[in-house]
Amino acid sequence: MSIETEWRDYDVIVVGSGGAGSHAAKAAAEAGARVLLVAKDPIGASDTKISEGLATVRAVGGEDDTEEVLAENLKMAGGDLPVRAITEAFAHDSQAAYDRYRSHGLRPPIDEDKHAPQAMPLPMGGHNRRRSVGHKNSGVAFGHANWQAVVQDRAIDYLEDAWFLDIATEESGTPDAPQKRVAGGLIYDAARGLLIAARAPSVIIAAGGLSTLYFPKTDTMRGNTGDSYAVAARAGADLVDMEQVQFLPFCLASPPSYEGLLAGEPVTASYLGVLRDKNGKVILDGVYLRTRAECSAAIMRAVEDGRGSPNGGAYLDMTANKKAPRSGPYFMRFLETSLPSAYVNARQALGKEAARCDEPWEVRPSAHYMMGGIRANEYGASVGGDGDGATEKGIAGLFAAGQAMGGVFGANRLGSTSLTEGAVFGARSGKAAADWARSHKAKPPDAAFEGLIEATRARFGQKGDVAAATLKLDLQREAWTSIGPVRSAERLERMAALLDSLSSRLDRVAIPPFATWNQAFIEYEELRNMLETARAVTAAARERDGSLGGHVRLDGGNVSAFSKPYSTLVRRTPDGRWTVGRIARERTPLGRIISYKLQDAKRKLQAKWLRMMPAERQDAELEKRYKAIMGKSGAAPEVMPGGPEAAVGEATNG
Amino acid sequence: MSGTTETGTGAGTLRVRIVTLRDGAREMVPFEYRLRAPDEKPMALDVLLQAQATSMPDLAFRYGCRARNCGVCTIDINDKPRIACRARVRDGDTLSPMATLPALADLVVRRDGIARQMRGRLDPGPLGNDLNVAAPDDYHELTGCIECYACLDNCPMHARNFGGGLPAAMQGDLPDPAQGYRWGNPFSLLKLQRLRLDPLTGEAGRAAALDQAIDLGLDACVGCPGCKCGVGIDLKRKVVAPLVEAAGDRIGKKTD
Repeated sequence: MSIETEWRDYDVIVVGSGGAGSHAAKAAAEAGARVLLVAKDPIGASDTKISEGLATVRAVGGEDDTEEVLAENLKMAGGDLPVRAITEAFAHDSQAAYDRYRSHGLRPPIDEDKHAPQAMPLPMGGHNRRRSVGHKNSGVAFGHANWQAVVQDRAIDYLEDAWFLDIATEESGTPDAPQKRVAGGLIYDAARGLLIAARAPSVIIAAGGLSTLYFPKTDTMRGNTGDSYAVAARAGADLVDMEQVQFLPFCLASPPSYEGLLAGEPVTASYLGVLRDKNGKVILDGVYLRTRAECSAAIMRAVEDGRGSPNGGAYLDMTANKKAPRSGPYFMRFLETSLPSAYVNARQALGKEAARCDEPWEVRPSAHYMMGGIRANEYGASVGGDGDGATEKGIAGLFAAGQAMGGVFGANRLGSTSLTEGAVFGARSGKAAADWARSHKAKPPDAAFEGLIEATRARFGQKGDVAAATLKLDLQREAWTSIGPVRSAERLERMAALLDSLSSRLDRVAIPPFATWNQAFIEYEELRNMLETARAVTAAARERDGSLGGHVRLDGGNVSAFSKPYSTLVRRTPDGRWTVGRIARERTPLGRIISYKLQDAKRKLQAKWLRMMPAERQDAELEKRYKAIMGKSGAAPEVMPGGPEAAVGEATNG
Repeated sequence: MSGTTETGTGAGTLRVRIVTLRDGAREMVPFEYRLRAPDEKPMALDVLLQAQATSMPDLAFRYGCRARNCGVCTIDINDKPRIACRARVRDGDTLSPMATLPALADLVVRRDGIARQMRGRLDPGPLGNDLNVAAPDDYHELTGCIECYACLDNCPMHARNFGGGLPAAMQGDLPDPAQGYRWGNPFSLLKLQRLRLDPLTGEAGRAAALDQAIDLGLDACVGCPGCKCGVGIDLKRKVVAPLVEAAGDRIGKKTD
């Protein structure tokens, strides 16, 4: 009476149908592979679809934007944690990847003079060149392109409403150098009420991030239950930089329906925006020059100190921008147009006075993007061993792309890079996975699936006294406090203890026996993945004992940019324990780091000088600046500001 | 966290009914939503999340972004399709799965047959070498579609898949969604019209898109009062009218 199993054969299985998954499936099919794409949400419904819709395209704003310039920009912004070969691959492929998006129907605004996609007028968060392209309907336009790539092409088999549960592996290699090899995957097809055992030599994990660990304090898709990392870790893959979760500082804390959604970015706070605690005391000034991490940390430190706002955040005060008689109206136009969807969220949630900036906004950080992930090379192939790793020491036939993949952004991600990342490493991994499958034609053994199938079937009809959905709420509350925007040794211990306790209750989750769309089973599987992923984050966060990028320690100092950079490495052992280590990373030459630091110090000094000016002169200066940004149209360029350094860009832009 | 809740008095609560479906058994379950702030006007999704967090932990429903972008959370409120994350709920409302598609569990419907019917129907033909051609405004208007499927409501073309009515009322076997539905809907027409407006689509691709619209049952649009979009796209003027006009005599004379 238990759930039945259907057997299928493919060359490549792709998990996920967002930007990374759809490009991977398309590239693998074009390389001649028989492809199965598996998605738990409807095809194309992903973080890509709900994004701000900005893509990084090298040299779109000027000829001097070489591959070297872009690759170094990515690596330095990421605290030297990114793998050089990966940043170089990103820089090399960004244009081709964007053209693939266009071949699936993405239509950018065209600069008729240059006969090319129109670049945004300013460099986006953290970029040292103008190289971002914005799109009508933001991410939804990308969603249509991803849908087209998967649905139109009959060469791709796909399943939606289907949960990819685990990778099946077999032992390969030699006695001296044993290696695990992918045999396929086990899938729960909820719509038809079946398990599907899909034999395939290659599996590409492109199943997104982990932000649902922090729900509702996130602005991303519900489906981000850490599936990518948990599935790869259970197969024995290395994960890197798992402590590096990117939080957006200025998200909504209330009303409940809007909790977590984006309200603004550091740069939209503009020249005079400051953060205040509940007593009105300034806790961070020069907000527009700060990184997302700095702003998040300032808010959360105030909360820790008992000076937070009623909903556990702080106040973003932009009233000074608004009050200036001449520049005020320009500021309002800038705020309304630079990040329109965020502004609409804020207006709907906070009301008219706040929307007019007559009063401060209550804001709180939200989980946005996972920068760590599956350890891979520049083709998305799983690697292991020392340094940048080798495929012989990874899981043979395992690939990762998009948020699932680590080593691309390290400790910080530049604005507008994630949509390009999905297309670049989606296509690369799709091609590489098809090549691997071609050279490994032998049919994987059914025995590789037997244990998985048996264990999964046994879950249907599991007797118990708890619901996974209830345990999930406990996990989400503690994850925010202990592995959220601020962490400490004591909290990490508490997190580990809760994870033990929740994991021990997994076998007591009640799951009815029926096969079709069994929500209790789905909740159980997602909770299992969230618990594994939370363990990986906790283990990596313990290893990184100072603050760096997305990882903020209340009980440690900042990691110096001059210290020797390393990535954290975590691995799940077959008995469910986690091992932790470090991988040395190549440091950018000191001279380059010093010049970057000097530039940053200069910008902050200039900002301070601006704030200290007499009111009338300040107003005139600000008016001049807004006019320069907003140009003839009177509308600000839509930006993905944020980033550390919308302003590094501003400086290089003159 | 946010605000206090009055309990027991009725002032701090809101009563709704949630339609559930488990293993083939359908029920109407009363649920009392506890307001999280005295002045809270909850969205349907808030109600579903609270139900799941309290008395109905295994409640099945779709959601994604909570900001009306991903298009997956559509349900019926009092028998009308609404995007759950942005639809306010009132005392006495009934929340049920979208009636225009077969229900799988609780508020989850099987959406698969819609996308699948478009397989192979959206071939733009050879794109040529120049991607740098600007698309017209109408093209971008259509890419605003979030695929929420609210437009299936009252669509006579879509209803043909179920003998002219709703799937729940259909006599005999339901069509297999895994094969893709035979007859189209405003969403499938939107995808085809978008292809026709794309400056990169060749003449052959454009003609093929019109043929596909006719094959999917465009004649059902003749004399139809029109469809309603979940996010405000003017389907009648921007999608249906241009297709019907282009098809002309090829559909005008047909009646069902």
